Amino acid sequence: MTTIVRMEKLRVEYRSREMRQATKVALCGLDLEVGAGEVFGFLGPNGAGKTTTMNVLLGFVPPTSGTASLFGIDVRQPIARQRIGYLPELTYYYKFLTAEELLRFYARIFGLSRADANRRIPELLKLVELEPAAKRPIKSYSKGMQQRVGLAQALINNPDLLVLDEPTSGLDPLGRMKVREIIQRLKNEGKTVFFSSHELGEVESVCDRVAIIHQGELKAVGRVAEITGRHTNLEQAFLAIVGYPLQPAP
Amino acid sequence: MLSPRTFSWLLVALLVACFGLAARLEPQFQFMRLDAAREAWVLDLHSDLRPLYLSRATGDFFNVALGDSRRMFANEFFVKADEYYHSGYYPSIFDDNTAFKTAHMAADTGAVADKNRGDEHGFLGPTRNWIDAFGRHFFPNRHTHLDEGGADDLSGSDDVREILPWLKLSSDLDPDNVQTYTVTAFWLRKRMNNVPEAEAVLHEGLRNCPGSYEILFELGCLDYESHHDRERARNVWEEGVRQWRKAYPHLSPEEQKDSQYVMEALTTHLAKLEQDNGNLQQAVQWLQEALPVSEVPAVIQTNINELKYKIGLEFLPQLKPLY
Amino acid sequence: MNNISAVAGIVIKELYRRKDFYVLFIVTILICLVMASINIYNDAHIVRYLKEICLDLIWVSTLVIAVTTTARQIPAERENRTLLPLLAKPLTRVQLLLGKFLGCWLACGLALLCFYIFFGALAASREHHWSVLNYFQAGILHWFLLGIVVAFALLGSLIFAAPSSNATICFVIIGGILFVGRNLDRVALGLGAVGRNLVLALYFALPHLEFYDLRDLVVHNWPTVPWTYFCLALLYAALYMAVFLIAACLVFRRKAVN
Repeated sequence: MTTIVRMEKLRVEYRSREMRQATKVALCGLDLEVGAGEVFGFLGPNGAGKTTTMNVLLGFVPPTSGTASLFGIDVRQPIARQRIGYLPELTYYYKFLTAEELLRFYARIFGLSRADANRRIPELLKLVELEPAAKRPIKSYSKGMQQRVGLAQALINNPDLLVLDEPTSGLDPLGRMKVREIIQRLKNEGKTVFFSSHELGEVESVCDRVAIIHQGELKAVGRVAEITGRHTNLEQAFLAIVGYPLQPAP
Repeated sequence: MLSPRTFSWLLVALLVACFGLAARLEPQFQFMRLDAAREAWVLDLHSDLRPLYLSRATGDFFNVALGDSRRMFANEFFVKADEYYHSGYYPSIFDDNTAFKTAHMAADTGAVADKNRGDEHGFLGPTRNWIDAFGRHFFPNRHTHLDEGGADDLSGSDDVREILPWLKLSSDLDPDNVQTYTVTAFWLRKRMNNVPEAEAVLHEGLRNCPGSYEILFELGCLDYESHHDRERARNVWEEGVRQWRKAYPHLSPEEQKDSQYVMEALTTHLAKLEQDNGNLQQAVQWLQEALPVSEVPAVIQTNINELKYKIGLEFLPQLKPLY
Repeated sequence: MNNISAVAGIVIKELYRRKDFYVLFIVTILICLVMASINIYNDAHIVRYLKEICLDLIWVSTLVIAVTTTARQIPAERENRTLLPLLAKPLTRVQLLLGKFLGCWLACGLALLCFYIFFGALAASREHHWSVLNYFQAGILHWFLLGIVVAFALLGSLIFAAPSSNATICFVIIGGILFVGRNLDRVALGLGAVGRNLVLALYFALPHLEFYDLRDLVVHNWPTVPWTYFCLALLYAALYMAVFLIAACLVFRRKAVN
């Protein structure tokens, strides 16, 4: 299987500006690979290093040491991001633009022709059910609508790799179901999805493989069934791996 | 116990009230401080104008809003008018502005003495470096006068009208400045041929500056040259002479020097008027009045001698030849 | 270039969808119309004071638009978190910065065009002729001055976190250069040795924005600036824009975006 995402001995340190404070190690020697067509769940407690890992993959933060690549291209090259779509955890977009204008702007960044953009934008708006509101400014959208706009912009270039940072955060059950459907659909189309989430039930149902990170170190990686092992469910396994003492059954 | 916020608002309100009261009372205070002699002169001549003077001093919008600083603004706008007269070619505070101490636009009006002795053509001086040399192409760098055509070199044009808005603003801000009225009236009459407006300006000047001999001189010129009313011109100029005689002893030495130019203009104009009317004796008397105040007494004396010669010739036919 | 123009397009859209430009434009029109309605000795041909007031208002308005629009570009992107989805695209930081600069500069140019059209109409209503070449030179030089201002404000927005402090500093520096810049060398002469050298260095290092202020020439109907000097002034402006933009790119490359 072709490796889409590869991280080798990835280390990220944040140097403190205060003399007395030590350097903070966000990631220490992360080795991870994601293959083509996988739905990969990236799990960990708050502050584990999930967002840092994504920031490195997207080129926001340079690694202190180690390498990271997308489609075999170093993540520091802008061209590496040509075939990816990204949905950040907190979705904010230009409030003075309409959804259609926003998608057209991002389409132009990706180099889509006007004809391709004219074809793709209505499809996406229909997919995320924003057709009626397409010509309204984004500042008038609800949180759920803004999340859907985010999803649409992440798919504008028909990406081969979709990076989602807590995609169901703040969504109602219907919204979460919609996101799960989209992920499943992408999987059926052979796309790769790399996402982080705290909704372990969702992860269990859609992911092929998961990785658990804690305090910057990779604690476990493998198929969901392998990770779950002798535990009741993924949540139990997660708690055990990160070292949370499990309450004995009453 | 008052909260800090309430206390702050009260303090602000108190400060606003204090400054407002100070601005309101300042004009009365200024009036009370008038020079005793000037006060007596104003009230003695124009007691009927006293309420007007008071109301102007206290009720005027600019006076209330700006107080004494209005004179500073008025002066700035007067200088602005001179800057417009030179089509923007004017020294900044960093340049050598000795040649621009007196407004050039007033030099020809007869209202003030021409004090400019410097070389107003070269206040910029030689170029100091390449930046200065390059930059001189982007602002006015040539000396012109608007009444001579300005930057367009349209000789004899009436572009000098462009200085009028600043003069109007200056006179509104400082109604006591005589020069503003005389300069405005001069250009309105001479270049714009707008005699009614010029007359209105001078009358307004007389209302605000009663007894001003400079304004009376300009009014006389207007009557003489535009209305061709010699009688009225004579009356106005004679009144100007009377006002000058009353005011002269109370002026400072610097002001006396300036006012002598106006007196010379008054007396020489009266002399010319009498000469045109054929009253040569009266003309000689006026020229003799001009002698002590003139900067060119030799020229005045020559004129006197010529007139006396003419007077003599009138009586010649009555003399029998000796031979 | 496509990415740069895409980002520039967004900036221009933002300008004409915000109220700033319209408010300033309407205020300028109202003040000029009030000034034009004043009766000055019943003479309807007086025009220069009106031209000066109009041009002064245009200068103030366009400087406000340039500085405030530019000062909030990058900080607003960071604060509103629109920077992350943007940089997750195949868009480099340099392209983003150049796109912001181009957008702000073009937006200023559009605003300037509207203002100068109004100015031309106002002047022509009294003068009954159009000094097209004068206005063209004045407009283009003004636009290039705004280019320097935009580049400078963009650099400032990467150094100062708050747009308000960046804007204040920009206004103070630009105002200082316009009022005093030409005479700094003369100010230097009155200082001690150390001070003189510092001020002289400042004199030669600072962009001389007074080259781009043709108000006096336009108001008083002076002939046009020689075209050689006009082109050299444009080149001078382009150099300073490049210097500020390169500095901005160097600063932005190392800046954290999250």
